[in-house]
Amino acid sequence: MLKPLTELPKGSKVKVVDIVAGKGLRDRLLQMGLTPGTIVEVVENSSGPIILSVRGVTIALGRGMASKVLVEELQT
Amino acid sequence: MSSNDRMTEGYDVTVAIVGNPNVGKSTLFNVLTGELAHVSNWPGTTVARKEGVREWMGVRIRFVDLPGIYGLSASTLEEVITREYVVNERPDLIVALVDATIPERSLYLPIQLLELTPNVVIVFTKVDEMSRLGIHIHFDKLEAMLGVPVIPTSAIKGVGIRDLLNTIVELTRSKRKFKELVINYGGLEPFINEISKIVVSSKVLKPYPTRWVAIRLLEGDKRLEELLMSSNELDILNSVLEVRESVRRSIGRDPSELAMGVRYEFVSSIAKEVVVRVERKGGSEELIAEVFQKPVLGVLASSLLLLTSFMLIFTVNTGFPLNMIFRFLGLEGLAEFLETYSLSGVLGHAFNVASDYVRGLLHYNPVLASLISDGVLVGVGAVLSFLPLILMVFFLLALLEDSGLAPRMAVSFHNLLSRFGFSGSSIYPMLIGVGCNVPAVMGSRILLDDVERRQVIFSVPFIPCQARFIVTSALVVSYFKSPTLQAVALLSIYLVGVLTFLLSGLLVRRVVYKVRESPELILELPLIHTPKLKVVWWITWDYTKHFLRKAGLIILTLSVVIWFITNLGPNGYVGDITESFGAMIGRFLAPILTPFDIPSGTDWVLALALFQGFVAKESVLDTLAILYGTADIGDAINSLGLTIPQAYALILFITLYVPCLATVAVVYQESRSLKMTVLQVIYMVGLAYITALTTYYILKII
Repeated sequence: MLKPLTELPKGSKVKVVDIVAGKGLRDRLLQMGLTPGTIVEVVENSSGPIILSVRGVTIALGRGMASKVLVEELQT
Repeated sequence: MSSNDRMTEGYDVTVAIVGNPNVGKSTLFNVLTGELAHVSNWPGTTVARKEGVREWMGVRIRFVDLPGIYGLSASTLEEVITREYVVNERPDLIVALVDATIPERSLYLPIQLLELTPNVVIVFTKVDEMSRLGIHIHFDKLEAMLGVPVIPTSAIKGVGIRDLLNTIVELTRSKRKFKELVINYGGLEPFINEISKIVVSSKVLKPYPTRWVAIRLLEGDKRLEELLMSSNELDILNSVLEVRESVRRSIGRDPSELAMGVRYEFVSSIAKEVVVRVERKGGSEELIAEVFQKPVLGVLASSLLLLTSFMLIFTVNTGFPLNMIFRFLGLEGLAEFLETYSLSGVLGHAFNVASDYVRGLLHYNPVLASLISDGVLVGVGAVLSFLPLILMVFFLLALLEDSGLAPRMAVSFHNLLSRFGFSGSSIYPMLIGVGCNVPAVMGSRILLDDVERRQVIFSVPFIPCQARFIVTSALVVSYFKSPTLQAVALLSIYLVGVLTFLLSGLLVRRVVYKVRESPELILELPLIHTPKLKVVWWITWDYTKHFLRKAGLIILTLSVVIWFITNLGPNGYVGDITESFGAMIGRFLAPILTPFDIPSGTDWVLALALFQGFVAKESVLDTLAILYGTADIGDAINSLGLTIPQAYALILFITLYVPCLATVAVVYQESRSLKMTVLQVIYMVGLAYITALTTYYILKII
């Protein structure tokens, strides 16, 4: 089931499926390695920006933007 | 460029350095060029362009530092600059940087570059940190796979620099050419071929490699599309757009997503072959990172760190606030000791001695003596007495930057700042502003959001800088006797300044640009590590240079101008300031102060001091001292004989109205808008006046 990144608890591993944002924002996220199919780990998700681990890099994403990243939860 | 031109410009080959932000590009550049960089701006932009020449084995190599980017899609100005440079200026060689601590991601940019041009040398940075992180990379294997030289380096440890220079020289001499990298885009290939056939007939796209242009156009490239449009090649553009649309129809996804997916897939397949990661137990660095990433704890840790650092810096410089704490505890002696032996105290004393010496030396020519001691020396003194303060504030910022804590602070403050229409990244220009507003305005460059950049340029001058702090604290100390009141008054200055900054920024975003959403935050959080003193010093000096060049020169020049205004009158040189041009300006402006019930006689003195404060804030105090004919700032302030409400209104006014002329100049330089610059000055002065007046009447009633 597809979920926005914001709804996933800390520690979950997810697969990026789609980014529903304008071209500018989407290209930026894609360039930073959030291409569909990429496995991403949620490092921190509470009230502030979401912190992710993508391709060995830690990235902080504002919640507005993170809600535009649709992911699929992986079985742990 | 012909070889003849190159000889006259003093270099034989040009090497461009390209890499992600945080990859260690500046460090490598500094080591390669020995810090002898020439700094300018990329034409038509405020993006800094650095270049320097290094001679190695008889070859003069010109290194050009290109802006930090993540890819070549031209979605940001920095990406456009890099791409245009590589295509149009054709550097002999490109040094593409890969962060050895995050090879899986940072190999992406070199791969993209290799698709554009084969003249690439891949350089891994920070290889000294690999063992700590349990990373091993087979550099030889990567070299064999990509067919271009791969060089592991650690600029700070001096590892691999000789190899890199040798490789550059060897490649220059042998004129060896590499093969272009061709990635198989699978299902997109037929479409790439189709566009390739279309663009062959384009004139404007001639300089670009055909396959590369075809892929870029398929992905959707605003810059190339604009090129086609502006040179009337609309048929080509329309045919391209049709192909792109047919991809969407037949595959159901956006071509850019597919292409970037394939490219990253290619990078991953290489990384799998050459990168080995061994799980390592997290050390203290990881623990610190975790603390700063926690929601509440992160904000607390960030605030505490900043507060203690600033308190320390302020105390060393002016004695405040530790002197207040000592006084509060009844330790008068210790407080006075701090004030006398603080940096500003010592420097102030030194310049008084120097002034007296010059006056004695030039006693036969009192006019010249006065010009040098009261004009030039006062100016030099003002710049010098700021220098340690500014240096220390920037040193702190450089520590935060190099340790990797700075972006984590931006994350901590993001929630709070986004309520006011800023992103967490704005904390950075805010902090610089506490030191000096000039580099703070320039600090707006780091922001991605265009409107946010304007918000910061417009409102960051409200952050009380060191100059305003010195003036307002002198007033506070003279007019508020109890240490508690003094502390409250000084704290309120920062509170008012920061709040005005936040609210003005919100106003600009919501009302002027009519943007409802707050800017988004996308930040890479680099690894936390112990700051390297050399790098910290480079960053500190870089900022300080900006201050010295911009603010320093203006302060110095204007100190001399002020001397002329206050020493010359309609009748030439006047010994008495009350007959000078300055007094005339003061008397002209004095009625503005009437609503504050300032007695005549004092009003023009204060008006003149504030007028000069517009030029440079610290001259408010100097002017008062000159006008009352005393060297003691405290005496001069007391001579004003203000009531408490008047004094506090004055403090507020000084906090909020234009910090200095240098800031105004930089606001114009960064915004490139005369309208915005003028509006800002009017807004600041107007807001300061209204706030001061309102506060005065409220306090008077109480």
